[in-house]
Amino acid sequence: MVVSKESQSFLDDVTVYLYSSGKKEEEIKEIVEELNDHLHEAEKNGKRVDDIIGMTPKEYMEQLANEMPFDLKGWLKYLPMIFIGVLAYAVMGDAIEGKVKYSLIECIGYPCILLFFLFSISMLLKYVSSHKVSRWKERVLFSGVAFIIPTALYVLLQFLNQSYSTTIMIHLRESGNIVAIVLSALAFIGIAIWSRTWDAIILPAIILLPDVLLKQTGMAVSMKGMVSLMLSACGIGLYAFITMKRSKVKDMD
Amino acid sequence: MSTSQILKGILEGCLLAVISKGETYGYEMIEKLYAYGFTMVSEGSIYPLLIRMRKEGLVITSEKALPSGGPKRKYYSLTEKGRERLEEFQARWDEVASSVNRLLKEEGR
Repeated sequence: MVVSKESQSFLDDVTVYLYSSGKKEEEIKEIVEELNDHLHEAEKNGKRVDDIIGMTPKEYMEQLANEMPFDLKGWLKYLPMIFIGVLAYAVMGDAIEGKVKYSLIECIGYPCILLFFLFSISMLLKYVSSHKVSRWKERVLFSGVAFIIPTALYVLLQFLNQSYSTTIMIHLRESGNIVAIVLSALAFIGIAIWSRTWDAIILPAIILLPDVLLKQTGMAVSMKGMVSLMLSACGIGLYAFITMKRSKVKDMD
Repeated sequence: MSTSQILKGILEGCLLAVISKGETYGYEMIEKLYAYGFTMVSEGSIYPLLIRMRKEGLVITSEKALPSGGPKRKYYSLTEKGRERLEEFQARWDEVASSVNRLLKEEGR
């Protein structure tokens, strides 16, 4: 059912807010459909979305969220998948370079950074969907939370690691590196099957494969780094383009 | 209890009453409430309440296709528990309303 642009953006915000509050997918779809139906009828009678919710969007979304249970089961399913995926990606990158060597600080620090990252992203999505935020401010907030804060934490961790060198927890030799690569690849395949998308295989492949291929050539190290970065960037651009085209075709069906 | 909480309790009772008159959906409930003069409630505020009422087992929902085709619409009807809650509300409301009326009328004299 088609509603005005204003109403549609409100419905989109409700969806993002409830998702980032950890609510169940079916329940979110149900209430958004119901609100869509209501807004459609109300607009036929000349009412506007602000009159209908009758309070600030934030208050309204909070009221809805309060009545819906937290989807603990769903999150217990997703969270380990995200962790395994990121872990496999990080380990594979290091294993290709042949330098899997993690200290105690790193073993604890990286998962903490990841958890903090996921938490801050969900808080940010909740904030942006329930407040009127300008495009410009939204971009600053997203680049801050998604990029600057994790990078700063990463640098801090490296610094801690160097100044308090703790005992090395994990250090793999040549055969160990190969095992790590195979296990990571299996993890990507597993996640791809579980989530029924190719992304879990294609994205790490685009980023990691150029490194592997260039390793075989006799190129200078600095040159290798540049070429590999360029290949990866082109690959991601191309993949994003293909995915976008595909979803457009699907929408038209 | 704050004003909004009192209003919420009353609104719940009134929604039960509206639904008890026959299967209905969100927008129609609001139209009926407004027809009785309930303009102090915002339209959107019934939905968080309806979610809770369903969770408490006072109402059940069913999806029905619109006669005009297109997506399905969610209809609400009362359960046995909902009917009991409505009777409770009615009894309590009569009590409150008659004592408030008595008091106000006496003061007016």
